[in-house]
This record gives sequence, structure tokens and C-alpha cells, in this order.
Amino acid sequence: MNKSELIRKVSEENNIPLEEATVVVSTFIDSIKDSLREGSRVEIRGFGSFKIKTYGGYTGRNPKTGEMVTVDPKILPFFRAGKELKEFLNK
Amino acid sequence: MSDKTLTKAEIVDAIYEKTNRNRAEVKNIVESLLKIMKQAIKKDHALLISGFGKFEAYDKQARKGRNPQTDETITLPPRKVVVFRLSRKFRAELNQQ
Repeated sequence: MNKSELIRKVSEENNIPLEEATVVVSTFIDSIKDSLREGSRVEIRGFGSFKIKTYGGYTGRNPKTGEMVTVDPKILPFFRAGKELKEFLNK
Repeated sequence: MSDKTLTKAEIVDAIYEKTNRNRAEVKNIVESLLKIMKQAIKKDHALLISGFGKFEAYDKQARKGRNPQTDETITLPPRKVVVFRLSRKFRAELNQQ
């Protein structure tokens, strides 16, 4: 399923206009993105949580060529499925 | 890095500000959205949200495990797990200087 299909389903199941379902889904995703951008955790009960991991940069070596490469520091979000989602998938 | 945690209630508030519905209605719509997301992950094994990422479900084989407390050998059952793959666009946004 992709985002537009998700919006359509939200619109149908709640009997709300497509435009409103678009606002709901976009605001939901944007709130999570904004929070992660600020480095905050996100916790959605029953679904899962996101947290940001920060990696320092380092100088590595390309194992194939032996060349030295600089790996830049990076921040990446991590998702952990919640208990309810895990149980739902496995029942 | 902040200590703040974004919760479902705050997401409901953000949506409430943008619609003409009361909080209870917005809460129900958000619960329905989460249910649809979960069903999509289960049924399609993937939920793709462009500009954010992709939730993927995959099967893990049964494997032998051990209870570290009793040293007992147990067989962990096969199960489905979910991973989140970050979109390149969002990854770039998070890492821009």
C-alpha cells in the first residue's frame, strides 16, 4: 500500500472527504518527521516507536581497494514495532 | 538532542488544529488510520510512505534459542517482524548541514 491508497482508505472507512483524509495522513506523517528532525523520540501506542541514533564520522578503508575513505557523521531514525503490532502480525 | 517524546495525543492535537472536528472524532480517525496501516503491513507486507519511508514485514525462520537463566534449549517459533526503511529524501533532510 502507498500513501495515496492509505489516504483513500482513511477517507472511505471514516466517511470523510478525500481532502480531509489527506490533511489527517499528511499531518500525522509531518508531525513524526518534524519530531525526528529535532532529535525527539516518537511513541505511538499500539504501533511502535522511533528514535534517532547518531553516528560519529570515521576514517575507514575500502576493503576491496585498500583506499582510505572518510565516512561522514550521520543521524538515522530507528523504528521498533510495538507489542500490539507484533501480536497482530503473528496471529 | 532533546528529551521530548512525541505521543499520539500530540499528533491528535496537531490534526485537530487543522480540521473542523472535535478531539474525540479526530482521535477515532487516527485510531482508524493506525489500524489501516497495521492491516496494510500484514496483508501487503509493505506500507510505502513517500518522503518518509517504508514499513516492511518479513518472515523469520524458526531457530534454536536458549533460556539464559535456565540454560534450557528452546525452539523459537517462526514469526513476522517489521522493519522501517528510511526514504533517501528524508535521510538527506535529516543529514543536511
